[in-house]
Amino acid sequence: MRMKKFINRPEDIVPELLEGFVLSHPNQVRLVGSHLVARAVPKAKGKVGVVTLGGSGHEPGLSGFVGEGMLDISVAGEIFAAPGAPRCLEAIRLAEYGAGVLFIVLNHAGDVLSANITMEMAKREGMNVKMTLTHEDIAGGPNPEDRRGLVGFLPVYKVAGAAAEQGGSLDTCLEIAERMGRNMRTLAVAVQTATHPSTGQAIFELGDDEMEIGMGQHGEAGTGRMKLKTADETAGIMLEMLLKDLDVKAGEDLLVILNGAGATTLMELFILFRRVDQILKAKGIKLVRSKVGEFITTQEQAGFQLLIARMDADLIRYWDAPSNAPYFVTR
Amino acid sequence: MTGGITKDDFARMIAGAAALIRAQHVMLSQLDCAAGDGDHGTTMLRTVERLEKSFAPGSPEDLKTCLREAGWSVLGVDGGASSSLIGTFFSGMADAPSCGASMSAGDLAAIFEAGLAAVRKQTKAQPGDKTMMDALVPAIQALRIAADSGKSVPEALHDAAVAARAGAESTRNLIARYGRAKFLGEKTRGHPDPGATSMSLMFEGFSSEFGESKGESSNA
Repeated sequence: MRMKKFINRPEDIVPELLEGFVLSHPNQVRLVGSHLVARAVPKAKGKVGVVTLGGSGHEPGLSGFVGEGMLDISVAGEIFAAPGAPRCLEAIRLAEYGAGVLFIVLNHAGDVLSANITMEMAKREGMNVKMTLTHEDIAGGPNPEDRRGLVGFLPVYKVAGAAAEQGGSLDTCLEIAERMGRNMRTLAVAVQTATHPSTGQAIFELGDDEMEIGMGQHGEAGTGRMKLKTADETAGIMLEMLLKDLDVKAGEDLLVILNGAGATTLMELFILFRRVDQILKAKGIKLVRSKVGEFITTQEQAGFQLLIARMDADLIRYWDAPSNAPYFVTR
Repeated sequence: MTGGITKDDFARMIAGAAALIRAQHVMLSQLDCAAGDGDHGTTMLRTVERLEKSFAPGSPEDLKTCLREAGWSVLGVDGGASSSLIGTFFSGMADAPSCGASMSAGDLAAIFEAGLAAVRKQTKAQPGDKTMMDALVPAIQALRIAADSGKSVPEALHDAAVAARAGAESTRNLIARYGRAKFLGEKTRGHPDPGATSMSLMFEGFSSEFGESKGESSNA
């Protein structure tokens, strides 16, 4: 099928989308240096800077979460490809406000490679940077190194960003980010492929009547290909897998995030969410916070990511803290 | 050949690699469609453009500086793992003590080995994992063996190109174990790895350009 997208020249996609993004949110974000997305008003001196990196084509991820109370700078790469170390290093230099920088990296091969090279250079320059990896996709198997970073970046940005905004030390911000990371799990499902916006290439093949549980952000194959099921059945299968992996017990407090992949409608997400809530109630698990919408997408891929996270009082406090990031406004 | 390999010779090797990548980038993107998202050719095109620019007239005369700047420039391609590893490879070459004004085949092998060592610090991928390492590792081994057996630079580069090509071909029957493709498992069998293929094209380019010019004069 021919790709139908409103783009101009393929090589201009990334600069043009970043330009449009900052123009549409002039009070919150602007472009600095070599196309880095930064806050319109830089953070006060003496606070920890929070930086992330990731490929483009996943809007509003990741730059949509730059703002007061969340990220300081996001380094956007090419479509579905990590940015290189030079721009990451530039971002870290800019986000040094005198208390060090927390570098949040989603576990994908290219991102980790760039981040590791960046960290080496930063250390050589004597910069005070700590890196944390998000890897919460249970489809990757039991080994944390094999688990990809999916929508779990969202609570990690939120709690670490809030800790930084409130004047927490670099060690505190890192501890909060890692505590959030240890207590979250995600599982994705796809029902329809996306096309790569520069090449027009379908990123995976899936039969008309099939769905695949465990599909990654870029159509990386999961393990559970099956006939398409209803919303209730799908939510049930995925939630059970997540609850088991995180070993959630009755009485515990959970955050649930339901993230649409791009072509799955809010209508469907609400139907799914209602079922998640029913199952949790039946098990006596408390749903203390929730978020439903599009936080990281893959073009017109249809499907969703379901995240659950065990929350404690600190994490809830940071989750509730104010943010003016364009795609996560909390007052 | 009388003298050793100079920065200008190295610039010609880069130009040869760039010419081949330019001619084959559509094929590389098509290969990437099998297990990736079809942009490998574009990434490689941008990579060799930056390499060429780093060696263009007006670039630093000193090969070490030139390689270091070329590596940094390739890291800035923002093309995911491929450009990060190739950038690391070139900047790693600059760290070799033998990287100098006029290099023997042995010196050339040593700087390529230094580049490989830098890449190995960033990835645990080994030959057999269906990555660029399947072409890079045998190419550099062949270069070393040729140099140690007293072969000329053009001959050694020729051996490296042959080994890289065989390595890239061998990935056809492998299952990807690194990067995004690893999640596709069995589905990756039957297609050569795009990263290994582009690396073999680079080595063929190094050899072709160099062989035509200095290869002939060495017989004179």
